[in-house]
Amino acid sequence: MKMKMTDIGVVVFMYAICGFFYYHMTKLQANSQTYPRFTIVLLFGLTTLYLLQMVMNARKYGITSGVDEVFNGFMVVQFFVCLVLSIIYLVMVKYIGFFVATIVFMIAVLAFLRVPKVHAAIAVVAINLLVYLAFVQFLGVKLPAGLLF
Amino acid sequence: MLETLQLMAAGLANALLPMTLIMMFAGVTLGIIIGCLPGLSAAMGVALMLPLTFTMEPETGLIVLGAIYCGAIFGGSISAILIHTPGTPASAATAIEGYQMTLKGQAGKALATACWSSFWGGLLSCISLYFFAPLLAQLALKFMSAEYFWLSLFGLTVIAGVASKSLVKGLMSGALGLLISTIGLDPITGTQRFMFGHAFLAEGINVTCALIGLFSMSQVFILAEKKIVERARAAKFTDKIALTKEERKLIRPTIIRSWLIGNIVGILPGAGASIACFMGYNNAKSFSKNKEQFGHGAIEGVAGSEAANNAVTGGSLIPTLTLGIPGESVTAVLMGGLIIQGLQPGPELFTTHAEMTYTFFGGFVLVQFAMLAIGMLGCRVFAQISRLSDAILIPCVTVLCVIGSFAIHRNFMDVIVMFIFGLLGYFMRKFDLNNAAVVLALILGPIGEKGLRNALRASQGDLSVLVGSPVCLVLIALCIVGIFSPLLMNMFEKKVSGTTMAEADAELEA
Repeated sequence: MKMKMTDIGVVVFMYAICGFFYYHMTKLQANSQTYPRFTIVLLFGLTTLYLLQMVMNARKYGITSGVDEVFNGFMVVQFFVCLVLSIIYLVMVKYIGFFVATIVFMIAVLAFLRVPKVHAAIAVVAINLLVYLAFVQFLGVKLPAGLLF
Repeated sequence: MLETLQLMAAGLANALLPMTLIMMFAGVTLGIIIGCLPGLSAAMGVALMLPLTFTMEPETGLIVLGAIYCGAIFGGSISAILIHTPGTPASAATAIEGYQMTLKGQAGKALATACWSSFWGGLLSCISLYFFAPLLAQLALKFMSAEYFWLSLFGLTVIAGVASKSLVKGLMSGALGLLISTIGLDPITGTQRFMFGHAFLAEGINVTCALIGLFSMSQVFILAEKKIVERARAAKFTDKIALTKEERKLIRPTIIRSWLIGNIVGILPGAGASIACFMGYNNAKSFSKNKEQFGHGAIEGVAGSEAANNAVTGGSLIPTLTLGIPGESVTAVLMGGLIIQGLQPGPELFTTHAEMTYTFFGGFVLVQFAMLAIGMLGCRVFAQISRLSDAILIPCVTVLCVIGSFAIHRNFMDVIVMFIFGLLGYFMRKFDLNNAAVVLALILGPIGEKGLRNALRASQGDLSVLVGSPVCLVLIALCIVGIFSPLLMNMFEKKVSGTTMAEADAELEA
């Protein structure tokens, strides 16, 4: 199997995590360091093992970018619009309350994804009703009311 | 013996309480809906519904989760039969014969076979759950601190290989989860570790938030990156959803063989329903007197696959409940549900909490009946639901993830944690890392830490305590076996499914 360039990102991420946790671990009491040290060494060792495996694969079979495999059929605009709308939704829940935010978010996403209006309306009503019955009525969860209302 | 029988009877009676039954039926219905939607998985469904079980009695909550699990495994067969798209990987083999039956105008019969076989597969698997689980739990009585440390590592080696293309990446995922599990107050000294001044992290990363993020929110991102395609129209069928006496007699031996296969596969760490369905299908074909029908809509093929994948459910609960070693992602999530209810897998479930455990077992038996009833009556409705577009699922699942994580502590920070784990889970899936290993590590990490530190404290830092007992040595050996077993399982799965699909294609061409 060829070495994938995209896996370099995985290795860098894991080493970064090890470095970050190691730096903060050194500030802990000696007694509290035992287990974090064990897990950091374990992750570091396994990442190094994977790096060696990658190098061996590169020598034996060659190198491929891996981008095509990882992002095959990736819809850039659709993904980022959905991601941004989700983040805006989280902010909206905090500021304008759960139900208003949910209705706005769902209408925005469903309209963007071109869901027929009737289907979209049913989905919005069904989800809000489900949340109200299951979480508010059944579980007694007090939903975020929002700071503005 | 008499005491066990009394517990079994009492458990069954407890599970028959009206509220539990209502919840059970709701869980099965929800599970079937989740299972028949090709974009969603059983693990994701259980993770998403976990917060709803918090306020329930532990046994009711567990029964609901078990109902979703069983319902989802069966639900996958509906879309496999009607639109030739397995709702879950566990129904991949069902699509081969099931869809051929649909093309022949026998969709109702195929659905009835799937329902009937799933019912018997699941019901018979309860037998092994009742009898083997307490025996295995006895073994756990011998475990001390050092053994618990090795057991946590064994659990990780097992799950790390499941669903990972690379074994090392699976283990890396587990190690990452262990590291994340160290966030929070030190369980021995009580000092702050990696909390960065955030008080809500005192109890560590909330496992439920991590579960919802890693399994459900990450799936939203996976759906969002793909082109939204209209799902194939579910085949309309006019034949009755029923089996004749002769047909039931014909599939009986297949169901029994598939139950045995599914049960053994379920107990084995690293194997799961997706392997069992192909093994059940192959076995049905090998023993069939009507081999020529295979590839053209053989009723025994559907029965073999569906009985085997549902027999996995009871089998896979045995190592999960007794040793805390889930063999696949959905049982890892179920174990999370158990721990969230304040229960630890192990012998205590069969002593201190025996009443609750046997109520869960009783409920698990009744779940199979609920699945049969709802499956038989609701197939036509579920067939329409299975066409639900990903475009509708994306915002709906997002909303459920947000409200689910918020409901845990009524704390908005939990929603943020869930979202971060959603992104982490998405990238982990893109780069072939293993989300289930992270979840299991979050659960097993604190157990392993307590085991390691207590053992070292008792031996005044002498590391030989970790290899000092025969049980420790056995567990170390199992860790080594656990590392290599997924490799063998993957090879076996490829061989079994590859042969089956190739044979089916060849028969279709002929």
